[in-house]
Amino acid sequence: MKEVIQRKIFDYLLKNKIYNFVGVPDSTMKHFIDQGLKRNKILITTREDEAIGIAAGMSLYFEKKWEERIKSNSLVFMQNAGFANSMSTITSLVQLYQIPMIFLIGWRGFRENDAPEHTKIGKIQPKLLKALSLQSMILNEEDWKKSCDWALKLIKEGKSCALIIPREFVD
Amino acid sequence: MIRKTAITIALEHIEYEERIIAANGFISRDLFDISDTRPTFYMIGSMGLASSIGLGIALKDPEKKVFVFDGDGNILMNLGSLTTIGSLKPKNLVHVVFDNSVHESTGSQPTNTNFVSIEKIAKACNYNHTFTVKTKNNFEKILRKIKKLKGPIMIVVKIQQSDTERSGRINISPVGIKERFMSRW
Repeated sequence: MKEVIQRKIFDYLLKNKIYNFVGVPDSTMKHFIDQGLKRNKILITTREDEAIGIAAGMSLYFEKKWEERIKSNSLVFMQNAGFANSMSTITSLVQLYQIPMIFLIGWRGFRENDAPEHTKIGKIQPKLLKALSLQSMILNEEDWKKSCDWALKLIKEGKSCALIIPREFVD
Repeated sequence: MIRKTAITIALEHIEYEERIIAANGFISRDLFDISDTRPTFYMIGSMGLASSIGLGIALKDPEKKVFVFDGDGNILMNLGSLTTIGSLKPKNLVHVVFDNSVHESTGSQPTNTNFVSIEKIAKACNYNHTFTVKTKNNFEKILRKIKKLKGPIMIVVKIQQSDTERSGRINISPVGIKERFMSRW
């Protein structure tokens, strides 16, 4: 995905009251992460389950406490290999306690000629999302805003979801 | 000192409005059994993540002290979190590790704290203050001392296994735990 779109996506989510961006880097979304780093809004962790733990803790907070309460919503970004690492945390923390968050997941192995370590997990990623009952949408350059709005609506309703960035290029 | 004794002592030195995040297994169960008058976040499942959940809360509400009740098995699963905590340096985070050198909740299989010091790892990870205590008196002394210190702080509490006493399950639903915790901001 183009650099300019990735940067726009970050700013759009920030503007729309996603307060916490926590995760493990992925080159597929490096401009998204860079935009967050520039804005001093990114927390990089050592592993994906750690990122989800921190994001869950942050999401237990209210940004505004007195008048209209606003939940401190979080986004956790990761590679799809990291998504595989996160399964237990998604089921036993995010879903068990119903702490909604947006997962931004890279999709390597989307193209068949990607590096070999991504082939298997890339192939089963849609099935894994489905098995977790985690609703997902694939981000694309034309209507990324629609996908973001969909995710923002779900998190406001208290539901977690995943936005997927496919790896269009192979390096 | 067994875990229940150590947890009882810790509770005497934690103010009511301060936060407690308890790791899964017998740590949460013992705490629940001793006293459930605070809006404690009992972590059921997601083993290893108590320190991360605690970090997230500590970062969001820096004026309120956050105590993480961790176990040796738990923190060994998420040693990376020590580097994240040591890099961000939340001054309000107190990380208490109840260390019996076994995974007691799963049948007392040994952990590597028989050979490796978690306190030393925390120190190397830039925790501001680290302590290891073995007696009740010492634990009380350190709990009084840290009231004036800036975090992140780690206290490793060496405890004995407590085979005879078993605390029951927590009878609040996970969503109930979360809602009670959140209602207290």
